[in-house]
Amino acid sequence: MRIVIFGLVLALFTACGSGKKSDEQAFLEGLDSAKAEGPSISEGVIGDILQQIPSPLEISVLLKESGKKYNAGYLNSPDNISKYNSNFKKALNLGVYGTDLGYTNIYEQNQDGVKYMASIKELADGLNIGQFFDIETIGRLATNSKNLDSLLLITTQNFNSINHYLQTQNRSNLSVLFLTGGWLEALHITCEVAALNPNNKELQETIGEQKIILENIMLLLSFYKESDQNMASLLTDMEELKKIYDKVNITYTYKESTFEIVDGVMVIKDNSSSTIEITPDDISNIKSITTNIRNKVIS
Amino acid sequence: MSEEILKALTQLFAIITKQDGGVTQRERQFVINFFQTELDQDSIKEYVDLYDQFSGYGKGDEDSGKSKLTSVKDSVKTLGICKKINKTLTQKQKVIVLIKLLELVATDKNFTPQRMEIINTASNVFNIVQDEYHHIENFVITEDATSLNFADILLLDKGHSIDESRLNKHVHGHIEGSLVFMRVRSVDMYFTKYLGDESNALNGFPMQVNRVYLFSHGSTIKTQAGDALYYSDLVAHFNEEIKTTKLSFNVSIEELKFPTGAIGLRNVAISEGPGKLIGIMGASGAGKTTLLNVMAGLVKPTKGQILINGFDINSEKDKIHGVIGYVSQDDLLIEELTVYENLYYNAKLCFADFNEEQLHKRVMEVLENLGLDQRKDLRVGNPLDKTISGGQRKRLNIALELIREPAILFLDEPTSGLSSRDSENVIDLLKELSLKGKLIFVVIHQPSSDIYKMFDKMIIMDTGGYPAYYGPPIDAVTYFKKSTHQVDSNRGQCETCGNVNPEQIFNIIEAKVVDEYGQPTAKRKISPPQWYDLFKERFKINRVEDIKEEPPRSLRLPNKLKQTFIFVTRDTLSKLSNKQYLLINLLEAPLLALILAVIIKYRSSPGGTEYVFRFNENFPAFLLMSIIVALFMGLTVSAEEIIRDRKILRRESFLNLSWNSYLTSKLFILFTLSAVQTLSFVVLGNLILEIEWSMLLPFWFVLFTTSCFANVLGLNISSAFNSAVTVYVMIPLLLIPQMILSGLLFPFDKLNEIISTKGKVPIIADLMASRWAYEALVVDQFRNNSYEKPYYEFEKYESQADFRSSFLVNELDKKRKFIFDHLTSKNDTIRRAVEKDLYIIQTTLQNDFYKKGFEKELASTWTVDKLSPDFNKKLEDFLTAYKKFYQDVYNKAVEQKEAAIFKYENEEGSDYDINRYKDKYYNESLADLVKNVDEKERIIEFEGQLYQQINPIFIDPRPSGPLDYRAHFFAPKKNLLGTDVSTFLFNNIIIWIMTVLLYVALYFELLRKLINSFDGLGVKIGKGGEKAKKN
Repeated sequence: MRIVIFGLVLALFTACGSGKKSDEQAFLEGLDSAKAEGPSISEGVIGDILQQIPSPLEISVLLKESGKKYNAGYLNSPDNISKYNSNFKKALNLGVYGTDLGYTNIYEQNQDGVKYMASIKELADGLNIGQFFDIETIGRLATNSKNLDSLLLITTQNFNSINHYLQTQNRSNLSVLFLTGGWLEALHITCEVAALNPNNKELQETIGEQKIILENIMLLLSFYKESDQNMASLLTDMEELKKIYDKVNITYTYKESTFEIVDGVMVIKDNSSSTIEITPDDISNIKSITTNIRNKVIS
Repeated sequence: MSEEILKALTQLFAIITKQDGGVTQRERQFVINFFQTELDQDSIKEYVDLYDQFSGYGKGDEDSGKSKLTSVKDSVKTLGICKKINKTLTQKQKVIVLIKLLELVATDKNFTPQRMEIINTASNVFNIVQDEYHHIENFVITEDATSLNFADILLLDKGHSIDESRLNKHVHGHIEGSLVFMRVRSVDMYFTKYLGDESNALNGFPMQVNRVYLFSHGSTIKTQAGDALYYSDLVAHFNEEIKTTKLSFNVSIEELKFPTGAIGLRNVAISEGPGKLIGIMGASGAGKTTLLNVMAGLVKPTKGQILINGFDINSEKDKIHGVIGYVSQDDLLIEELTVYENLYYNAKLCFADFNEEQLHKRVMEVLENLGLDQRKDLRVGNPLDKTISGGQRKRLNIALELIREPAILFLDEPTSGLSSRDSENVIDLLKELSLKGKLIFVVIHQPSSDIYKMFDKMIIMDTGGYPAYYGPPIDAVTYFKKSTHQVDSNRGQCETCGNVNPEQIFNIIEAKVVDEYGQPTAKRKISPPQWYDLFKERFKINRVEDIKEEPPRSLRLPNKLKQTFIFVTRDTLSKLSNKQYLLINLLEAPLLALILAVIIKYRSSPGGTEYVFRFNENFPAFLLMSIIVALFMGLTVSAEEIIRDRKILRRESFLNLSWNSYLTSKLFILFTLSAVQTLSFVVLGNLILEIEWSMLLPFWFVLFTTSCFANVLGLNISSAFNSAVTVYVMIPLLLIPQMILSGLLFPFDKLNEIISTKGKVPIIADLMASRWAYEALVVDQFRNNSYEKPYYEFEKYESQADFRSSFLVNELDKKRKFIFDHLTSKNDTIRRAVEKDLYIIQTTLQNDFYKKGFEKELASTWTVDKLSPDFNKKLEDFLTAYKKFYQDVYNKAVEQKEAAIFKYENEEGSDYDINRYKDKYYNESLADLVKNVDEKERIIEFEGQLYQQINPIFIDPRPSGPLDYRAHFFAPKKNLLGTDVSTFLFNNIIIWIMTVLLYVALYFELLRKLINSFDGLGVKIGKGGEKAKKN
């Protein structure tokens, strides 16, 4: 009986013994010969364009100044995180949540803010950039509204350093998605707020101003349309938005800058101005298309 | 005898005597004598009157013409009386009545045809065979011993030999005249009468000439010349089976020492041939059972030997196996089986060459012999839940031994706890067996007079293991009486009733010295050694000559496979009939699964609205609990198996059955049970917790493997310890380390530094089946669920490349800077740090896949002296390229994974939805566990090596040789003799190897031997070094 058992074990060993070249070896060797596919544009150029896109947080400040109350309904629920399982979705929604976090921050909604931070941390982990978030520090700061400034600072810094890091890692595509998500969410919130304040000129202009940023984003996405099907389909959606924005006119009037002394310090004053022509119809169209795209992104 | 019967007999006597010549004085006297033996003085008168009335004594002679008429009337009367007697008396009693009738007639020698006709009628109605009747008639009537020439007669006279042509048996003795013995074959009774002039004594009472006496069990005849003739000796002459049985049993035990050093037996010598029933008596603690055990070969004497037909039972076991039968004092029955099944499976194990019909016949035969055939379909039950009586249990115990007909049978107090009726039945049965040629030793306690007399010989032991007596039972009383000079020392039994009081013996042996106040003191009048001295003087044991041939036996063992099969069937049947056991064992697993799974199932989805498998944070703990449950069930179900069977094993040890077959049968049953239990557990667990069904089989297999391991472990402790309580106390001792070192409760790198190490599972944990099972389960659940399976490889490269490009390379670069900043330092500590860092960089890079452009440098040994700024530059460049390479790998892997997801989602006709898949098949907590996300230090340095702390599930182990099986916890694959094997397979193999090793330990009973060696230690220490050296 024992002999039979030993025999069986031995047979098992030999059956498994037919070795083959390890998978890792094969995979890495294959990779060595084939260059990773990427955009034909250099990382540097992409980086430059990315720099021109303002942080979504800047829009948030504008919203608070509009005097409207905090409304969590505008935001993407942090619970939705379980839906984001591809890097594409993760990166886009990291941007979305970043904007949402900024929005909760300016209204000092710390409780919600902490939830967003947790979701951001999780998404970042999923993208292997979790090291930029020290969730404990953020959590501690968030418990006290007096720390709002530092919180905002840290978060902004984090987003900046992530962008930078991703570029050094040849993963600018994530940066692009990340900024696109953030921008889209900001535009969405602005549109929602604007719809409640039809007379707020400033908000309407802000919406109109996004035309320039949209063009930049589309430019960035177009770099990847060959290599990344997800980004290509996002670009197609953006083109819909672009069609509405084509009706928005921005005229830029240049004037010589002047120097002024303010409190004994010399300041350069920009005298140029731009006028934005945008109709309420355009705004509502922009709102509905933005909402559509955003819904696709966050679902 | 009832009044009615006595009346009937009186009538019968009267009818016979009044025929042909009427009643004579002598005949009447005979009847009165008969009444005297049966009745008290007052009643005798009444019955004599009755007799006179029936026989017409004193009325004067009737005329002969009338007498013929009455004889017809008498014949009818006789028939009526005989029929009445027939209904109430046993066959033996009827034979005695018949003999009395004949004797009555013989007193006057008035054998008229009419008288004989009546007796003949009576014998017919009594169903006594005609032949036998003639023998009896001849025996009673004749006065010439030589005329008795048939096989059932034994003559004892002074002649040395007899004529070959004669059928009767003959024995030489110092006697005038002849002593005649007759056997009545149908009832197996012996009668004797003496024809001669001497005065002989039967059981101490003088024998009348030509008077027929019943020669009952234990009777002795002492001749005038001093010869003694014992019942057993007589029987031996009549019994052909005894004569043909070749058996010699010679015991000489010089000394038996217990492990404690006390002496159990001293100078015991016993020598017997076949066909004896020998009793062993003694005060408690005198060593009766010890003697029995030594003789049966269960205990080896310290000095001395036991020979059966010249074969030493301890050193030549193979020659005598199956010869010895042993019935211990305890019940050795399988309580769940019926009486019939108990015997049937026992028979099946003994007679391989029997077919079913023969087996059935044999079993029924034994059952009938023991009067158990009416009870054959009753469950044996235990003493608390009785279905059969104590006597029946005892008889069944004996039957189990009898069925295989061992030549020598040992019984330890077979009558204890039995009613006197049952006791007598049991001993009677043994007596019968001994008459068939078996040699039977019985330890007996407080036997009744009848039982005591049934023994052929009695061995009486005294305190301290001294033999005090060895000889015929009745003589024991006289011997002890004589030795203490008591009056009436020749009388062994009561003159009127024939009773023997064995208690007398012990009263004499243990008589205490009385102090001046008449109070008995603790001191004995005659100490055991003194009795032993007397014994030595008085008894010379005649050694039975060793018969030089193998003892008879009917045992034919089935082959090992068949034995296994029989064991399995028997055990299964007994388990099936135990409804409680079955119910508990089959319901335990699903019940536990239900409790466990229902409790840990909660609304786990992020909004808390519903249960989603993905977010069930209890899942990793559930897996551990499953393993603990499997271990626990496996242990509890097996822990009692061997202990419960131990008694039966002891009985079967005389059969020399295969231990391996027995164990294999246990394993077969336990493994089957484990398979069912774990399957029901897994099915219910999966159902409730909504675990993917394709994970069911591997999940089950791990639990089954674990449970089997626990089964064999349980059998080990079951075979090693003596009581079930000890075994159950052992269970936590075995289980808790399994829990502690399972890997989930306490991380392996946060254990005491004596056992803990970095980057590998501690050796001590490798000894735990739980750790292997848990790892196998977790790794398999993570890697092979439907969500993760297609992406695992991508994620692996992603994670490994990310680790190298984002963390490892930075760490290495930091070390590079440190080295070249401190290259010229004279500080010893710093120099050592520099050397160490240099070593770490080199080994880390050497072990890496990417070496492009740096192969030459890596091949040589790096020393601090050889380092140059040039080398520094080269290394820096290499690290940059290294980082770049792994960034590429990372991006490529991510891209491929994204492409794969996109492909699955957009395939024609596919309903693949990554979110749904992840919700249903993937568990976040499990992923966090195997990715070690809570670890803050992604990389640590330990003993000159860098260890990756995160994502263990994605790190392939790097074995140092083909035999290096060790890896970090949750490694996705393992090294088995130089090849890569999945963790699931590898870990299961390991547990099975552990199981096989445990089986080997079980087979050789290593644990039991180990524990026994501890037990002996205390004694050895006490005895000093001498004994220790011997061992």
